[in-house]
Amino acid sequence: MIMDLQLASLLTCGFLMIIGMFAAIFIDNVIKKVIGIAFIEEGVNLFIVTIGYKAGGVVPIILPEMDPSWFASNAAYPLPFGLVLTSIVIGASTLAIMLALIMILYKKYGTLSAKELLKDRSKEAVADE
Amino acid sequence: MLGYLFMIFAVVSAILALVQRDLLKAVILTGVSGASVAFIFQILLAPDVALTQAIIVAAIEPAFIALTVKKTTREDV
Repeated sequence: MIMDLQLASLLTCGFLMIIGMFAAIFIDNVIKKVIGIAFIEEGVNLFIVTIGYKAGGVVPIILPEMDPSWFASNAAYPLPFGLVLTSIVIGASTLAIMLALIMILYKKYGTLSAKELLKDRSKEAVADE
Repeated sequence: MLGYLFMIFAVVSAILALVQRDLLKAVILTGVSGASVAFIFQILLAPDVALTQAIIVAAIEPAFIALTVKKTTREDV
């Protein structure tokens, strides 16, 4: 089966987003939930870059010997690439904040399981008093 | 042709990262997935995005997660 590179790339980012959503919803460990959110973000970045791709085109960097009209009709669309750069860096910083919150939660409750973290603790507090 | 290989590699290592019991293995497989996506960016004519992806997603994010694993606990469940 011969597949277009753009179509295969769209399939890949769909798979990455599905895997990430599955992890963020169904896996109990909070670090794996965070890894799943990172996968969703990776899939979205890949989708945006795939939209700018042009089959048989060139990298959008103009050189002195290139004809400008030839370049305009053959280069890939560079705007999504510039936006995705910002998106990657913002993703790294949000990941760092999520992981810092996980460290604080572990220090307070001593567990990484979402089920344990969401447990009702009002009865235990009464028993302690 | 190399592009399809790296697409398969990205999806498979993402799936493998989520079924590991040892969280450090999951961290390394996350980095492998990010590096494969960086190769896909290079093939999709975006070398600037590929450089940023290779540095941040394939190196710095696994370092953050590995630090969290070290500060908390290593095994899942």
